[in-house]
Amino acid sequence: METLQNILLGFAVALTPVNLFWCFVGVFLGTIVGILPGLGTPATIAILLPLSFQMNPATGLIMMAGIYYGSKYGGSTTSILMNLPGETASVVTCLDGYQMARQGRAGPALGIAAISSFVAGTVGILGLMLVAPPLARFALRFGPPEYFSLMALGLTMVIFLAGKSMIKGLLAALIGLWLASIGTDTFTAEPRFIFGRLELLDGVDFIVATIGIFAIGEVLVNLEEKTKIDLFKVPKGLRNLLPTLQDLKDCRFAFLNGSVVGFLIGVMPGAGATIASFLSYGLEKAVSKNPDKFGTGAIEGVAAPEGANNSETGGALVPLLTLGIPGSNSTAMLLAALTLWGMKPGPLLIQEHPEIFWGLVASMYVGNIMLLILNLPMVPLFAKILRVPNYFLYPVILGISVVGVYAVNSSMFDIWMLALFGILGYVMRKLDFPAAPLVLALVLGIRAEETFRQSLIMSQGDLSVFLTRPLSVIMLLTAAVLLAIPIFRWTQAWRKQTASEEN
Amino acid sequence: MRSGKHVGMLLGLLAWSGIFLHGQDVWAQGFKPSGPIEVVVHSKAGGGSDLFARAIADMTREENIIPHRMQVTNKSGGSGAVAMTYLVGKKGDTHTIGFFTPVLIVTPLTLKEAQVTIQDLTPIARLALEPTVAVVKADAPYKTMRDFVEAAKKNPGKLKQPGGAISSLDNLFRMLIQKATGAQWAYINLESGGERVANLLGGHMDLMLDNPDKSHEYVRAGSMRVIAALTENRLSLYPDVPTIKEQGIDIPILTQSRGVMAPPGTSKEVVAYWEGVFERLNKTPRWKKYLADNLMEDGFLRSQELGKFWDTETRLLRDVLKEAGVKVVR
Repeated sequence: METLQNILLGFAVALTPVNLFWCFVGVFLGTIVGILPGLGTPATIAILLPLSFQMNPATGLIMMAGIYYGSKYGGSTTSILMNLPGETASVVTCLDGYQMARQGRAGPALGIAAISSFVAGTVGILGLMLVAPPLARFALRFGPPEYFSLMALGLTMVIFLAGKSMIKGLLAALIGLWLASIGTDTFTAEPRFIFGRLELLDGVDFIVATIGIFAIGEVLVNLEEKTKIDLFKVPKGLRNLLPTLQDLKDCRFAFLNGSVVGFLIGVMPGAGATIASFLSYGLEKAVSKNPDKFGTGAIEGVAAPEGANNSETGGALVPLLTLGIPGSNSTAMLLAALTLWGMKPGPLLIQEHPEIFWGLVASMYVGNIMLLILNLPMVPLFAKILRVPNYFLYPVILGISVVGVYAVNSSMFDIWMLALFGILGYVMRKLDFPAAPLVLALVLGIRAEETFRQSLIMSQGDLSVFLTRPLSVIMLLTAAVLLAIPIFRWTQAWRKQTASEEN
Repeated sequence: MRSGKHVGMLLGLLAWSGIFLHGQDVWAQGFKPSGPIEVVVHSKAGGGSDLFARAIADMTREENIIPHRMQVTNKSGGSGAVAMTYLVGKKGDTHTIGFFTPVLIVTPLTLKEAQVTIQDLTPIARLALEPTVAVVKADAPYKTMRDFVEAAKKNPGKLKQPGGAISSLDNLFRMLIQKATGAQWAYINLESGGERVANLLGGHMDLMLDNPDKSHEYVRAGSMRVIAALTENRLSLYPDVPTIKEQGIDIPILTQSRGVMAPPGTSKEVVAYWEGVFERLNKTPRWKKYLADNLMEDGFLRSQELGKFWDTETRLLRDVLKEAGVKVVR
């Protein structure tokens, strides 16, 4: 009853013309930010902060949050069309999305990304609305040992990303782990592998590495294949540009998986959208009847991570709004904005300013519908980009990549790093090494090392700390089961083979 | 001769009328920026220095203190070393300023790779000070810092404090208190402030030494308790909380200070202009409200005093780092 009253209050706030207008501005800007690689949500919010000082806090938060969840919609666009992930959470969308585009199914891939984003985004808001306070208290039970086990679980996803050769997948992951160790060891303040460059003290920038390995690598490989001019076929007719009913049916579980995994990971302040999208992809592949289809253009492989990426925002707002604890740079920026508007984000925010919390929740329903309406008609338009000849498209991809990377830190050093990672991506593709395990290991490796060492300082060096805490044990067991799946499949295949040989 | 005298009087009159017409704008004679100002900060968008700089850019615009826009450039990396190197490279540029915190003093002391120190830059003004308080979870048994220290003495290494990098003020304070009391507890490096709060509220860790704005909302909600103010005098925010010295723990007091600097070789004229800008900002009600909202204190110092402050801070921090067992390279 109380929730119903609150939600009515929320819609009363969200549906005023002013708030509707700024909600639209927010999600529209968010979509653009998502599409453009490099330009991230935190930077956009920072740039727009002065504009919002004249607004009342509810309006400001509605707009800023619109940028935040809106950017998740656009993130898949360049991943699917150009193999150019705008953020690390979209890396896994490249795997099947780009393959779909190569097969002339860019439209359905973009469409399913938008639909899945809408479904999971809405589930995320429902979660935020109904279970925020108890869930936030639950998330506090995650200390460093639990986060380490979660990262370990995330790293086991490597086996689902390895592709043809498990050894090459693991080697790529090892390179990623090494890259993760570059920078300042924050526990001792000692620099590691920085080769005398101050720029490396903060470690390798994920976005630079990701764009280099994926987008630049792809362009370089394709440059060699000069003979193939019509790489992408884009079928004519609107019907072929949107997902079919069969596609939607195939994605039923992916919608659910993405929604739940994304939301739960989002609630943990120390996890992040990348692990959410990778976990949901791994889960999707693990339960799939045709796991071999993944990596060759499986539509579930787009739907699940894109869904997770979006419902993660609903989850991430839980600790932010109920406890004032931000889990990512984007939510930290929202927290800062709230402070600058004179709000006091913390455990008393919902109680003292119900109109802010409920207004935001209601506006997110509205914003998600706006995003769907905004994004679906753009699908045919974007899909047609692929009709652009390669001699024009590739320079555009290079241009977007370079500008995007420069925008992150306005540093020339990053451009050189981009070139270096581009060459690495090229070499890896030539030698048939999968790139996704490298990015996964790079992103999770840093957190895994941090949380491992934090845990050991807590336990004074006793490793049993990971096995005496129930949540940690559950996650480690899940990781062990996941690791066993491919071994199980190998032995089964081997048995079949020997059985047929005997016959 | 007579005409000369008249001209002189005329000029004098003009000068005076200038002062009367422009009132407090006298300082603005001489240098005046002719275009946008680049403001260099060492944190990423959304970090402490970044938000501080953006808030100030906004306030100077709202109050019409600067005729041009201030544009924030984020030069993160190397715990401030990248931003300092960049600012030194801007030598002689009159349209670039930067923001400092003690990190820019500590980093060159501990990082061999750093090429410049804060003394290479031109001091403009110190603006704000942030005190440190000691907080515990509300249901923890410690009512004072003394209680905590006694508990830590009984279980050496068992109690835990989440905090930033090992050269951050929270760890330096811990080292100082450990040295003064003989107690020992673990320091666990957690990169984001949110994680530190989460670990304290979740009961995974026991003590946080940080600025009040990190904990005040939880104190207000009754989920955290302040057990000491790490300041010379009691804080107006918590008048009932005794300072650490009142509790018999005698340590040097470190302060998080924030302010403005300029590239090397900035002329006196330009320094005077910027000093004037921030002095004017300092007097506005908007600034006072900002300080109060963010639980900061007014720490205004002019260029010359700031230069001296940097020198004394450098000496103090060098000693503290050495005492804390951190390798000092300069």
